[in-house]
Amino acid sequence: MDMTKDKALEELFLAQKPQFTDNADFMASLTKRLDAVEFIKQHQEASIRRYKMAMVAAFIVGIISGALAIALVLSSPAEPLFTFSIQSAFLLWVAENSRLIVATAIALLMTVGTVSIIGNVQDIQRMRRQLKMDMTCC
Amino acid sequence: MTREVFIANVEREQEALRSFLLALCCGNKGDADDLAQDALVKAYLSSAGYQDKGRFRSWLFKIAHNTFLNHKASLRTTESIDEARLLVSNATSDSAFEYQSLYLALRTLPPKERSAITLFYLNGYNIKEIAAITDASEDAVKKQLSRGRDKLQEQLKMHQG
Repeated sequence: MDMTKDKALEELFLAQKPQFTDNADFMASLTKRLDAVEFIKQHQEASIRRYKMAMVAAFIVGIISGALAIALVLSSPAEPLFTFSIQSAFLLWVAENSRLIVATAIALLMTVGTVSIIGNVQDIQRMRRQLKMDMTCC
Repeated sequence: MTREVFIANVEREQEALRSFLLALCCGNKGDADDLAQDALVKAYLSSAGYQDKGRFRSWLFKIAHNTFLNHKASLRTTESIDEARLLVSNATSDSAFEYQSLYLALRTLPPKERSAITLFYLNGYNIKEIAAITDASEDAVKKQLSRGRDKLQEQLKMHQG
């Protein structure tokens, strides 16, 4: 393959090199864009920070309230505090298995909470990756 | 790289970058400047990872080349209509450019051949450097240059004839 430069073509290219008279306008426009980019970048980073803080707070509140609820259930008396004068088989079953039912409900809530926190952490990581990609996308 | 250093470097290289993109956009100054601005914003955002090896221009050209290819890909559906419109209108409306035949000839080249030809003839890069800028192998660049040069010569002869 002949890779020597075609002289005529080279001269034509070099002759068409344009002269730019609006360099200052171009740079001013670029500076404005960079200001906007900086603003968006800072806003995104602040949002991620706030989101992260909210998640940490939610996690701590969840752990504490979950622990309190379990402690409350475990410390409640085995004997019922009050009884209804209704002879319903279902209510009797609920009364007999109330500890088990409450423990199951709390476990379910904690599971949902954990899944939600994991989802939010993944969201934060995705946002970070997206931000990095936007920055390096070229 | 700090913002001040980045802007100082861009001030030094902006004309070369704009000339490169102007040739890729076949003389369409509006598109070329828009792409240059986009490319420079991308460069600024990734400037933290840039390691100064005295190749700021090549690095900018690489970003500009990718920005141009992405722009072409996003316009693929409407391109044929626009190209036809430009071919009709350019001969008369864009008389500010003295070398219309070169731009018209460049328009017939696929984007990658156009980039290789422009980098080789306008910016004076060698094959190895072009391969690094365009993320292609040296053999692929050689092929692009050879095909592009033949097509350009043919088109220029047609316009002159």
